[in-house]
Amino acid sequence: MQITNVMASFSPRKRREGALAPARKKLKVPYVFIFLCMSPWIFGILFFTVYPMVTSFYQSFTKFNLIDKPEWVGLENFHRMFFEDSDFWLALKNTVWISAISIPLRIAFAMFTAWVLTKPKRGSSIYRTIFFLPSMVPTVAASMVFTYIFNPAYGPINRGLEAIGIKEPPFWFMDPKWSKWGLILLGLWGIGDTMIIYLAGLLDVPKSLYEAASLEGATPWQSFRYVTLPMMTPVIFFSFVTGVIGSFQYFTQAYVASGQVNDYSHSMYFYATHIYFTAFRAYEMGYASALAWVLLVITLICTLIILKTQKRWVHYPNGSLFK
Amino acid sequence: MQKKRLFASFAVTALVAGSLVATSSVATAATRSVTVWAPYTGGNLDLWNAAIKRVEADNPGLKITSVGNIDMAKSLAAINAGNGPDISVSNGNGNVGWFCGSGAWQKLNVLMAGKNGLNVKTTFNASANASAVSNNVRCALPLGSEVFAFYSNKDLLAKAGFTHPPKTTTELLEYSKKLTTFNSDGSIKTAGFLPWAGYYGFDMDAMWLGQMFGAKWYGGDQKAAFASDPKWAQAFNWQKNFIATVYGGGNFDTGSKLLTKFVAAKGGEWGTEHDFMTGRVAMKWDANWMGPMFCTGDDWAMADKCTAKYEFTISGFPVSPELVSKYAGSGVVGQAQMGISKGSKNVKDAWIVLKAIATDTKFASAWDSANGAPSSLLSKDARPAKYPAWYQPIYDVVEHPMSAYHIVKNTGEHQEEALVQNLMASWQAGDTPNIKSALADLANKVNQIIARNN
Repeated sequence: MQITNVMASFSPRKRREGALAPARKKLKVPYVFIFLCMSPWIFGILFFTVYPMVTSFYQSFTKFNLIDKPEWVGLENFHRMFFEDSDFWLALKNTVWISAISIPLRIAFAMFTAWVLTKPKRGSSIYRTIFFLPSMVPTVAASMVFTYIFNPAYGPINRGLEAIGIKEPPFWFMDPKWSKWGLILLGLWGIGDTMIIYLAGLLDVPKSLYEAASLEGATPWQSFRYVTLPMMTPVIFFSFVTGVIGSFQYFTQAYVASGQVNDYSHSMYFYATHIYFTAFRAYEMGYASALAWVLLVITLICTLIILKTQKRWVHYPNGSLFK
Repeated sequence: MQKKRLFASFAVTALVAGSLVATSSVATAATRSVTVWAPYTGGNLDLWNAAIKRVEADNPGLKITSVGNIDMAKSLAAINAGNGPDISVSNGNGNVGWFCGSGAWQKLNVLMAGKNGLNVKTTFNASANASAVSNNVRCALPLGSEVFAFYSNKDLLAKAGFTHPPKTTTELLEYSKKLTTFNSDGSIKTAGFLPWAGYYGFDMDAMWLGQMFGAKWYGGDQKAAFASDPKWAQAFNWQKNFIATVYGGGNFDTGSKLLTKFVAAKGGEWGTEHDFMTGRVAMKWDANWMGPMFCTGDDWAMADKCTAKYEFTISGFPVSPELVSKYAGSGVVGQAQMGISKGSKNVKDAWIVLKAIATDTKFASAWDSANGAPSSLLSKDARPAKYPAWYQPIYDVVEHPMSAYHIVKNTGEHQEEALVQNLMASWQAGDTPNIKSALADLANKVNQIIARNN
């Protein structure tokens, strides 16, 4: 009953009608009840996040093969990582490559697609749905489909390239030089989720700004450069940060694609793949934990650098969110 | 009266004693229990459980709890947590070095030599005995085999004038040259044989290539022999020459590119679209279970009659000419393996169960019939009473003294196999300029892994 009254006082209808909200009664809910309501989340985060994190932090200083008890080895795992493990550097290099290429491309492509989708006067929701749909396809299924369409022998992409006169089209996932580009294209195909955020951002830019720019004689490019782009920087900033975090955990697409072909040169061997193989193929849980913690530190540093620089290039209409 | 009292006290004593005996026997029965976890499901689990029932029937008072559909990852996690089964089963022996080396499975040497022991040499075939041992420690007993042999399309071979499968690598090259045809655009239409990592190979092509040249995985010093045994370099150089000669008209790069495209267009592995079934490839190395699949098109159970489009034959791998006398007819043979978990509270009874299942010829023959997977037992009773003629060569390969899996070491899950396979793939793509230094790097890497895990 109390809760109903409280909720009623927040009713937007009442506020619109200009009626004064009745004096709020203090909601007396016992802390035990609040705790009970929150307990699934609290226990969940304690057991499924905090406990594994603490355990893996401890294990990162141990040699642990799942069978014997973890054996304390100090910083040995980290020494091995930086000075002995060539796969670590290969995986890191591949991960940095995919991040450096895919994040700007995804931002540009998502913004461009969103911009195109602001143009149709009719049926815009249909177009938006069509562009959004690929992002709903399960990653594993999408990756398998891409290994099919990029198949050098019968894939439609190479058939098309041959039809337009390219005699030796790339072998895509079967060629170390092209495999990562195949993954990039796969990522761009599923751009829908990012595109929706950009679309919302573009639709949120006040029309008055464009009108003012137009009165000043701005060209379309100038309108984009001096109106759209600055207004979109918070969205770009958001997708940049989430893109960096996501790309450092890049795994599923590469794992599926490399499983379909012979990725002998490990051109699709990323940092998360290295953790997976170390933990579940080599059963070196201690070393895998160390790798995971280094990944966290790398991601954290990159995120902090982006956060630090955002003051210079992100424009919030009402000031920065991160003062 | 006194007699009555005496009788009554005797009766009471007898009753109490009887109860105590009954209680203790119940208690004994309760402790005589063994838990077995296996990866099997469906019909295979039924066969497995029937074998377990037989062990129970032969050992009154022994209760065996069988749980199916449990892979080794789950078993390992449970063994680590201290609540694992007494016995667990691994589907292949690529992991045996890991299970033995890490102590997940207990050493069996003492149990084998004990009162209820087992003479493995007179019980199992040579390959099964070799691959259940890691660092001179036996921690497993073998179950059914997986046999990797050589498949030839008899019809296509006969058409090209060949009356028998190739016995040597030299013959294999000759056969392939004759059996390979090209399309007008220069692409490969049908291939003779592909010494190619990643062509339906279950990531084992490098192992099979090595077997053809008698290459050793580890030397007497227990170190990786990829660099010290020159047969590895010989095998890889033969592969390169084969690709250039058969597919590239003498040019390796051309052959490699054409084969990459040919392999990319291969038919589905499990069904009638398989290249070997469509005649796209005339010869290939493959597993025993592909025989029934080739016969029926969609089933792994042993087929009485082959309904395949082409008639095929199975033989040992073609081998390097200098090895014919010793290696001809051999292949790669692995096994499912089972062991007693670390922490088993009833090792004595676990051994009874382990031994009984491993030596159960009834189970072995039923398993062979259902899966096309020959037993590791030497006893002929372990074979099905009736089996089709085309299946006989599989038994011949299993029994060949030089048939073997590579020696297993504590390297994790198929780690060295993956590394050799990667090298083979890199080499065939032309991305490894110097095979000798690549093999030396590989040996170092494997030795590092072993040193780290020991």
